[in-house]
Amino acid sequence: MSPLALIALFIGVPTILLMAYVFARGSAGLRRYILTRIGLTLPMIFILASLVFFVMRVLPGDPVSSALGPKGTPEEVQRIRGQLGLNDPLLVQYGRFLGGMFTLQFGDSLVGGHRPIVDEMSERFPATLELVIPASILALLTGVLGGALAASHRKDALDYGLRIYSVIIYSLPLFWFGLMLQLVFGVWLRWLPISGRIDPVLGTTLVHATNLYTLDSLLSANAPAFQSVILHLILPTVTLGLILSGVFVRLTRINVIETLQADYIVAARARGIREHVLLYGHALTNAMIPVITLIGLQVAILLAGAVLTETVFSWPGLGSYLVERISSRDYTAVQSVIAMFAMLVAFISLAVDVIYSLLDPRVRY
Amino acid sequence: MKPKSLFFLMTFVTVVSLVLTACGPVATATPTSAPTDVPPTEVPSTETPAVTSTPAGPVTIVIGTTDKIASLDSADAYAVRDWEVLKNISEGLLKWKPGTAELMPALATAMPVISADGLTYTFTLRDGIKFGDGSDLTATIYAAQLNRLLTIGPGATCPNAVASSLATPYVKSIVAPDAKTIVFTLTSAIAYFPQILAGAPYVASDPKTFVADKCVLFPTAPIYGVGPWYIKQFTAGEQIVFAPNPYYTGDLKPQVDQIIVKDFADPQTMALAVQNGEIDVAWRLLGPELVSQLQKVSGLHVGSVAGGSIRYLVINHTMKPMDDPNVVKAVASAIDRNEISDTVFGGNVSPLYSQVPPGFIGASEAFDTMFASPNLDKAKEYLTASGYSATKHVKLELWYPPEHYGASTAAWMQVIEKQLEATGMIDVDLKPQEWSTYLPALVGGKSYAAGVLGWFFDYPDSSNYLDPFVYNGGQGTNITAKDASNINGKPINDDAAKLVDLLTKADSETDLTKRADLYKQAQEIYASLVVTLPLFYEAEHVTYKDNIQGSSLFAVPENLNIGPTLEFNYSTLTKK
Repeated sequence: MSPLALIALFIGVPTILLMAYVFARGSAGLRRYILTRIGLTLPMIFILASLVFFVMRVLPGDPVSSALGPKGTPEEVQRIRGQLGLNDPLLVQYGRFLGGMFTLQFGDSLVGGHRPIVDEMSERFPATLELVIPASILALLTGVLGGALAASHRKDALDYGLRIYSVIIYSLPLFWFGLMLQLVFGVWLRWLPISGRIDPVLGTTLVHATNLYTLDSLLSANAPAFQSVILHLILPTVTLGLILSGVFVRLTRINVIETLQADYIVAARARGIREHVLLYGHALTNAMIPVITLIGLQVAILLAGAVLTETVFSWPGLGSYLVERISSRDYTAVQSVIAMFAMLVAFISLAVDVIYSLLDPRVRY
Repeated sequence: MKPKSLFFLMTFVTVVSLVLTACGPVATATPTSAPTDVPPTEVPSTETPAVTSTPAGPVTIVIGTTDKIASLDSADAYAVRDWEVLKNISEGLLKWKPGTAELMPALATAMPVISADGLTYTFTLRDGIKFGDGSDLTATIYAAQLNRLLTIGPGATCPNAVASSLATPYVKSIVAPDAKTIVFTLTSAIAYFPQILAGAPYVASDPKTFVADKCVLFPTAPIYGVGPWYIKQFTAGEQIVFAPNPYYTGDLKPQVDQIIVKDFADPQTMALAVQNGEIDVAWRLLGPELVSQLQKVSGLHVGSVAGGSIRYLVINHTMKPMDDPNVVKAVASAIDRNEISDTVFGGNVSPLYSQVPPGFIGASEAFDTMFASPNLDKAKEYLTASGYSATKHVKLELWYPPEHYGASTAAWMQVIEKQLEATGMIDVDLKPQEWSTYLPALVGGKSYAAGVLGWFFDYPDSSNYLDPFVYNGGQGTNITAKDASNINGKPINDDAAKLVDLLTKADSETDLTKRADLYKQAQEIYASLVVTLPLFYEAEHVTYKDNIQGSSLFAVPENLNIGPTLEFNYSTLTKK
């Protein structure tokens, strides 16, 4: 399955359904707002992709020389550059790139096997998706619950502890944190695997239907493989999820504190409503609105974090693929992956904006 | 809209998305099961990491690597990992005896019959050679497949271009006069042609997969050859699963039921994975720092294989200040290789005193004999002879790629800077440059006076360590200039002409003693000219668990039978 199809299914379809619902039920102002946002999203992707195209070519270095190494003769380098169209004028290459984006065919890789980029991304994207989804859930759960707890125990030890946690975890370099987790839980305690997506031996028994290994193992009722996939997910998910949770703790805490001081909460408390109902049923729900806005902004950080996490854990996703291809100046691969990331961020931001307008009836456009 | 309704809506569409995704087609590089006539090896290994529960079954060895696969077509593949895979799933007419640099017949019944003029090599094929799917290999099929190197190899569908380096310069034609005989006709007499023939480009490839009119870089598994293994599954970027070839009739029969080679993005992660038991063997590319750490871990063995991977300074003999032989000799005299090894690598690399590393035919220590470096007094003498003094310094820009040869490159370049500046007459300006810009600038021979480069052999022979740096511009040394009237280039002086002459003679000399002598003479001239300045060579390291063993039937079982050719035969491995 192509990565674009995956984006469409996981993000595009829910977004489109959501927008269809809003279009049908929402006000004229909301409809206009959504149309404007879509109108802005497409040029944004175009500008970003164009920037990547030109920046990659301004950077020094030649992908063919890099790939052939000292043994590649200048004649050989020129011959392969010609075959790959790298000797064409820049504007011709740019036109070809835009045409490729329009038809969703990104061309072939410039290094290694010169395979179609769409094929390579198709193999890698499910791994990234399988990492960022649980990491986001963990970041949200830890961050929101931690923030709510800190707010409800304001100025006691739990509050201070959670605030210190949020600052420390947010400041930790991701690669270092990942390495520490690998050492402690992988090497010293031997509780968890530290690399890859599945035990290599069990991987041979997996039927690759979607390349989402949790799903593939469930669909084929392969319990040992499922267990192995879950175990392999734990450390990378915890690394990425906890690093991202810090900012959610702080934002949730401050919003819940503010909400807990609102008049309707005071009134509810006076009516004898229990404290945990007040906190989780009323204050937290209302405090979530700014948090949802932050989720949209955090997607880009999440993807950047995935690049590092995948490298540390030898997780064969799009992030580690991007690192490999940047170092070999594989223009087509780099610009394709970044265009893909841009589309992801744009779609999710759009969806978040729409959800925001639905959650908060006060928001009008 | 109420949050609860929104939650149900999102849950619904996500579930629908998941179901739709699950119904999608299979991705391209996913595993493919073996055909029915091949005994399946489906059940996993008895020994797995403590962190996962795997059912007992046939024995599996998991090997980790950070090397990448670039092509699996023998008419195209030119990377170390590609060759390792190809040599495990297939064989050529000749092969290296495991653990040694000794040639032996593989698909051939005997070593070749060589014509008196050294231009024709005739081989007779063994009986009963079959591919992993049971189909026969005849000389006609084999010759047709080898001819792909000459026909499609240099073309557009074979981007890794191995044919232009290891086939078309040497081979004029490959024919099969009958079903048992293969005849190679060469473009000129080349004494080291058997070594080239033992390489991966000359293994037998399956005509059903590797078609005549184009290179097939990543065929769908199963991928068969005539070697001890076949590729049962290939998951790009993750792992390759090898299963025994049931039709293999050679002498390297697999000792375990399955080999899995797992990809790692990062050597640090691979080092941790062999420590916690996720993999049984870590092979390439652990740097000296990680090797030092792993040597202290109980339950692990670290084997060191005398490596063919060398580091040297490219000296551009037509650019200032390196166009002055005295400056070049002063640099050669001032370098202290032991200091580099000890201070930067903790002794895990070895000083190199010739461009040809120890163990190769005719290898000498000509630079040590010639310069006995470090010798600062001698360096000063050379510089003084060229008019330099404590007040008039040589200005030398020394280029290096900061990331390509590992993070320690900057550290040992600083050691070299300090050593050269200790003469009191050389000012070194260290210049880092990103690899893809650096390489063409250095080997192009027009931009940098001196820079660092690494080399790894294509075929294990001294010619591969000397010829490229002398002939036709010599990889940026400019000791010869490209010349239409001379295929090896026009030497810049008489000594260079003598060097070209000696190397040309050695290339075609079939008497090993005479050839070794020619290389010894060539290395002396090479050192006196300081064509390049060899610095050190790195051993390759294989790290493996206690329960993994190499075969005692072959050399260096302690290194899992990986010898100077660096070939890793998975067939010699056993697991307790």
